[in-house]
Amino acid sequence: MTIWDQVAQYTVSGLTTGAIYALVALGFCLIYNATHVVNFAQGDFLSLGGLMMYTFLVGAGLPAPLSFPLAVLAVALAGGLLERLCIRPAKSRQVMVLIFITIAASILMRGAFKHLWGKEPLALPPLSPEAPLRLLGATFTPQNLWVLGMTIAAIFLLVWFFNRTLTGKAMRATALNPRAASLMGVDVHRMTLYSFALAGALGALAGVLITPITALSYDVGVIMGLKGFAAAVLGGYGSFPGAILGGLVLGLLESLTAGLISSVYKDAVAFVVLLLVLFVRPGGLLGLARQERA
Amino acid sequence: MAALLSIQGLSISFGGLTALSDFSLEAPAGAITALIGPNGAGKTTALNCVSGVLKPDAGAVSLDGRPVLGLAGHQLARRGLTRTFQNLQVFGRMSVLENVMVGLHGASRREFGAAMLRLPGVRPEERAIGERAWEVLEFFGLAAQAGQPADQLPYGDQKRVELARALAARPRLMLLDEPVAGLNPAETDALGSLIVKIREQGVGLVLVEHDMSLVMRVSDQVAVLSGGRLIAFGPPSQIQADPEVIRTYLGGGEEFGLVA
Amino acid sequence: MTRPGRTFAAVLAALALALALLPLLVRNPYYLNVLNVVALNVLVVTGLNLLIGYAGQISLGHAAFFGLGAYISGILTATYGWPPWPTMLLAACLVALIAAMIGVPTLKLQGNYLVMATLGFNLIVSVLLVQLDDFTGGPSGLSGIPPLTLFGAALNNDLSFYWLAWGLALLGLLLARNLVHSRVGRGLRALHESPLAAAASGVPIEAYKVKVFVVSAVYASVAGSLYAHYYGIITPKTFDIFKSVELVTMCIVGGMGSLWGSLFGASLLTPLPQLLEVVEEYKDILFGGILLVLLIFLPQGLVGWLEGRRSSSGRAF
Repeated sequence: MTIWDQVAQYTVSGLTTGAIYALVALGFCLIYNATHVVNFAQGDFLSLGGLMMYTFLVGAGLPAPLSFPLAVLAVALAGGLLERLCIRPAKSRQVMVLIFITIAASILMRGAFKHLWGKEPLALPPLSPEAPLRLLGATFTPQNLWVLGMTIAAIFLLVWFFNRTLTGKAMRATALNPRAASLMGVDVHRMTLYSFALAGALGALAGVLITPITALSYDVGVIMGLKGFAAAVLGGYGSFPGAILGGLVLGLLESLTAGLISSVYKDAVAFVVLLLVLFVRPGGLLGLARQERA
Repeated sequence: MAALLSIQGLSISFGGLTALSDFSLEAPAGAITALIGPNGAGKTTALNCVSGVLKPDAGAVSLDGRPVLGLAGHQLARRGLTRTFQNLQVFGRMSVLENVMVGLHGASRREFGAAMLRLPGVRPEERAIGERAWEVLEFFGLAAQAGQPADQLPYGDQKRVELARALAARPRLMLLDEPVAGLNPAETDALGSLIVKIREQGVGLVLVEHDMSLVMRVSDQVAVLSGGRLIAFGPPSQIQADPEVIRTYLGGGEEFGLVA
Repeated sequence: MTRPGRTFAAVLAALALALALLPLLVRNPYYLNVLNVVALNVLVVTGLNLLIGYAGQISLGHAAFFGLGAYISGILTATYGWPPWPTMLLAACLVALIAAMIGVPTLKLQGNYLVMATLGFNLIVSVLLVQLDDFTGGPSGLSGIPPLTLFGAALNNDLSFYWLAWGLALLGLLLARNLVHSRVGRGLRALHESPLAAAASGVPIEAYKVKVFVVSAVYASVAGSLYAHYYGIITPKTFDIFKSVELVTMCIVGGMGSLWGSLFGASLLTPLPQLLEVVEEYKDILFGGILLVLLIFLPQGLVGWLEGRRSSSGRAF
C-alpha cells in the first residue's frame, strides 16, 4: 500500500467514526438548545440503540428493516422518559445540578444495561453482509456506506423537520427564546420532551450503525458520548453545522493520528487539539464568541 | 471646573451598526453630568466603554489626566472609578453588609495565602472594612437591613445597595446607569437627594437617566446623545430650550419632561 | 463575620474530639480504611468546593490533579528514593504550577466549554499515566511507594495513617474556613454571582479564578500524595474522569458553597458503593438511583436541606 492508499483508508474510517460523533453531537445540541444542559446520558442512548437492535434482530429474530426503526423508537421513548422522570421534576433549575442529574441517570442506565444484557460483549451483525468494495485505493465495507448514508439522510431529515414542520419551527423558537415562544402559545415543556426524544433517536441511530463495527457492550456509549460532546464543543456548542463539522474533524483527526503517528496517543491528540482550538476560539469553530453565564 | 473624566473621540460599532461616533465629553469633580438621549442613542455603550466592559474602536479616556482605556474593571475601581448597572447587579445571596464590603475590595492587597493563614494584619483590616461598610450603610439608610440577603430586599432598596457598594471605596467618579428606573416617585425623590449628597462629598457623577424631571433637578450639565452622536451639551436650562433636542425627542417618539 | 466563624471553630473542635475518640470504637481495619479514604476525599472536595461552590467555576478534571500529586510523590520516592515529606511539598508546588498554566487559558472559557476543557485535561493526563510506562508503570501501576514517617515512626498501618489523614483534612477545612470568611472569600462569592459587578467593585476576577483553581488543585495534590504513600501502589484508573465526576458529585450532594457540605458529601458517598456491594447485582442501579433522588429532590445538598429545615427562611443556596 502506498502512503496515499493508507491516507485514503484512514480517511474512510475517520469519516465513519466522525459521522457517528456528529450524530451524538447533534443529540447533545438538541438537548442543550432546549434546556442549556449537557446531557451526559447521550452516550447511553447510543449503547441502548445497539442493545435494542440486538434484542430485536438476534433475540427476537425480527428482520433488520423492522428491528432498526423499533430500536430507534425504543430509545426515543427512553429519551422522553429521562426528561419526564428526571429533568422535569427536578427542584433546581441550576444547570450544574441538571447536568449531574444526567450523570446519575447515566450511571443508573449503565447498571440496568449490565443487568439486562450482561457484561460480555455481544456481536451485532452488520446491516448488510456483502463483500467490501474498493474505491480510490480505500476499502469500504457496506457498513461504512450505511453509516455515511444514514448520517446524511438523518441530517437532511433534521433540516427538513426544523425548517418545514410546525413542531420543528416551534422547537427552534423555544431554543432561541423560551419565554417569547411560550407567549406565542408554544408548549415549552412539550418541546423539551421532544428534544430529549429526538436526541434519543439520534443516539440510537448512532448505536445501531456503529456497534457492528466496534463491538457491542453495555458501556460502549461512554467513550462515544465523550467524543460526541467533544465534537459538539469543537464545532461550537449548540450549533448544528458546528456539531457535524466538529464530529467529522474529530473523527478524521483521530483516525489519521492513530494510523500515521501512534494509536496509543490518538485520544490524547484529539483532546489536545480540542483544547488548543478552545484556547484560540473560546466559542468553538463555528460558535459565536458569545458570553454565557455558567 | 477642571475635568476629572475626559472622553475624547470615542467610536465603536457592532457589526455594521455604529453605536458611538466621535463622542467627546468632560465631567468635572463634585458635579453631576447627565447623559440623556432616546433608547439606542449609545448612552450605556458610552458607560461600558469608560468602565472597561467594552473596548472602543477609537478614542481616548482619561481620569485625572491619566489614560485609563484598556484597564480592567478592578483596576479602574482601584483608581477611583466605580459604577452601577442598568439591570440590577447586586450579589443576591450575600448580605447587604457583605455587598458593601465587596465594594471595598480594592482597599487591600492581602490575598489568598494571607487570608487562609490569618496572617497578622488580616483581622484589623477586616475590622476597618466592616466599619467603613457600616458607615456607608447608615448614609444610605440601610443599616437595619445589613444582615439580610440582598435579593430579599425590595427593588428600591436593592438599587440603594448597589449605589452604596459603588460609593464604599470613596471613588472620585461614579457612573450611574439609570439609578431610578423602576422606582416610584417617592423613591425616585429620595434617591435623587442621595445623589446630590454624594456630589457634596466631592465625587464626580455621570448619570444616564430617562427620568427628565430628576435630570433637570440634579444635573449641573447635560449631554444629549442621539444615534451615537453628541447633539447638545450645556446646563439643564439651556438643554430644555434647545430646538434640536426637542426635535430629536419628539421625532423619536419619546416623552420628554419639558415642563419644568 | 465573626459569629459564623466562631460557630465553625466550635463545631470543628467537637468534630476533632469525636474523630479522636472514634478509633476506640472502630478497631476493624476495614472500617478504618474506609474512614481514611473519606478523609482524603474530604480534602479534595473541600478544595473543589472553594472552586465550584464559592467561585462558581466548574471543573471535571480534578482527579487529574489528585493523580499528578500521587504520581509525582510516588515516582520520586519509589523510583528515585527521595524523602516523602519534601517530595510531597514539591509535588504540591509542581501541581500548582501546572494548574496555573492550565487555568489561565481554561478559565476564560465558560459553561460547557469549561466542562469540556477540564474533562479533556483529565483525559490527557489519564492517557499519559498509562502510556509513559517507563515512569508510571503503565496500566498495572506503580508500586513500592514507601509509607510516610512522622517523628521517626512509619505510618504504615490504618490507625497511624488515620491520625495523619484526618489531621490534615481538618486543617484543610480550617484553612478553607479562613479563606471563605475573608475579604478574598467575599470576592470569590461576588465573582460567582455577577462577574461584571465584582470587577467593577475592585475584584480582580481573572486572577481570582486562576488562584482559586490553583488552591483547589493543591488540595487535590496533597490528598493524592497521601493516597500514594498510604496504599504504596497506584494505578491510572484511580485518577480517571469517573473519579472527577465522583468528586464533584460529593460536592453537590453535600452542599455547594458550604464547607460542611464537603464533609457530608465525602462521608456519605465514599462508603456508599462499598455498602451497596451486598446487593452486588444491583449496585450501579441503586447507586445511580440514590444519586438521582438526591439531586432531583435535594439539589441544595444535605447541608442546605438541613439548614432549610432548621429555619423556615432558609438559606438561598
